Amino acid sequence: MRRTILAGIVLVTGLLILVDLLLVNPSLTDAAGAVNELLVLLAAAAAVGGGATLVAHHVRVIGAGDGDSTGSIVLLAGMGAILVAGLRPGASGSSDPIVLWLVAALLAPIAASLFALLFIFLLGAVRRGFVLRARETSLMAGAAAVVIVLLLPVGGQAGDWLAASAGWVRDVPLAGVFRGLLIGTGILVAVSAARSMLALDRDDE
Amino acid sequence: MPNIGELAAYLVGLVTGAVGSSSMRLGAAPTVAILLVLLVLLSLIARTGARWSPSDLGGLRRVGRVMALAAESGADATISLGSAGVSRAASATDRYQTLAALPLLGHVAAAAARAGVPLRVTTNDPVAALLAQATLAGAHRRTATPERASSAAVEYIGEGRPVAAAVALATSGPHGVAVVAGGLAEDALLVLDGVLGDAEWSLAATAAPSQAAGPLLDGDGSLVGPALFQAAGELGAAGHARTAVLAANRLIWGALGLLLGGSLLTWAGGPQIAAFLTGR
Repeated sequence: MRRTILAGIVLVTGLLILVDLLLVNPSLTDAAGAVNELLVLLAAAAAVGGGATLVAHHVRVIGAGDGDSTGSIVLLAGMGAILVAGLRPGASGSSDPIVLWLVAALLAPIAASLFALLFIFLLGAVRRGFVLRARETSLMAGAAAVVIVLLLPVGGQAGDWLAASAGWVRDVPLAGVFRGLLIGTGILVAVSAARSMLALDRDDE
Repeated sequence: MPNIGELAAYLVGLVTGAVGSSSMRLGAAPTVAILLVLLVLLSLIARTGARWSPSDLGGLRRVGRVMALAAESGADATISLGSAGVSRAASATDRYQTLAALPLLGHVAAAAARAGVPLRVTTNDPVAALLAQATLAGAHRRTATPERASSAAVEYIGEGRPVAAAVALATSGPHGVAVVAGGLAEDALLVLDGVLGDAEWSLAATAAPSQAAGPLLDGDGSLVGPALFQAAGELGAAGHARTAVLAANRLIWGALGLLLGGSLLTWAGGPQIAAFLTGR
């Protein structure tokens, strides 16, 4: 019974959003908007709950002293700094200059430095790939080497030929593989969503 | 006194009025095309038993054995649900990968519960954390191992893709079984390297085409592109209904608490948390 109710709610909601996508009707737009507002509310509640559990987890780590206490203290201090900056009397919330400064001067550089590690980790992944499946990784590394050669900043006739070849590789084989993956993913996303909506997957209840 | 004829006329007028005040958003041809695609999909999924033949995608059939080996060696298992989440500001295809990862989580969690291996699930989205908790509970119920439920934990690690990458790198260790399943973006290699690391057996799964190389290079088993959804379909969505009901119940209580708390704060003249939380 519970499963039927859930499947019914999912089906009706999904059809409402789908019909609103296809038709322009004020009532439908209002109903779909209400569903979206409800989703935003639920997500906000989950975000607050998630933040609370994050605090509780790291307070527990500090209290027990069995984990990375320093990391937990830094995390709690960071959360506190952002909350005080955004919620102090007279603050303008997430657009407050202090919040924006904290994001631009601290968070963005930290994230950028993390992503700067990608090159090193790519080399590490290639090494691991050679251990796991040497033949496929050799093929992948060979193709990558060819693309690097094609993208070399060489001038003259040879440079034009390399640039044209690099463009062809990007536009034909690479784009073909990407489109194939995207089309396959799109079809299976739709099938999978329909199976969930219509409750066609087996259940253990 | 209104009669049945008047009532019928009113209802007909209501329907025709609604139809008359509507117009097609996309034009006739695209609308028909979308409906046709839906019909084709319905015909594909109507006879599920005949259309879907299970295979061993990503080496998922080995999970039971590698989990038993992990139990013998005293190792643990870890799963990351990617960095797209369910309620985060990511594309719909990315977020749907998190939902597709739940059957994989259920499969691995059931194997961990049977073998008695501690399991840690990490996610950067609170809604995905709720769904993962319900999935773990379902796995322990299916395997009749409630006494081992305390050894499985879901950890919300904070918001953002950089956070997912940083936590993966900071907590990397020699796990017995390590799995990354879900939406990944530019953080893919960092998350994969950090979580899978030196695991005895690892599985990497993402449907993001631009990150296809990561799972192929880093995982013992890999699911790339549509294979993630195919594997999820083959495993079945066991307990999907229960998972959704449990997670939705918690979300509703959370929303009520938020409404009440926010209202009390506003009434008491405190800060407007709604604007801060939603960034408006």
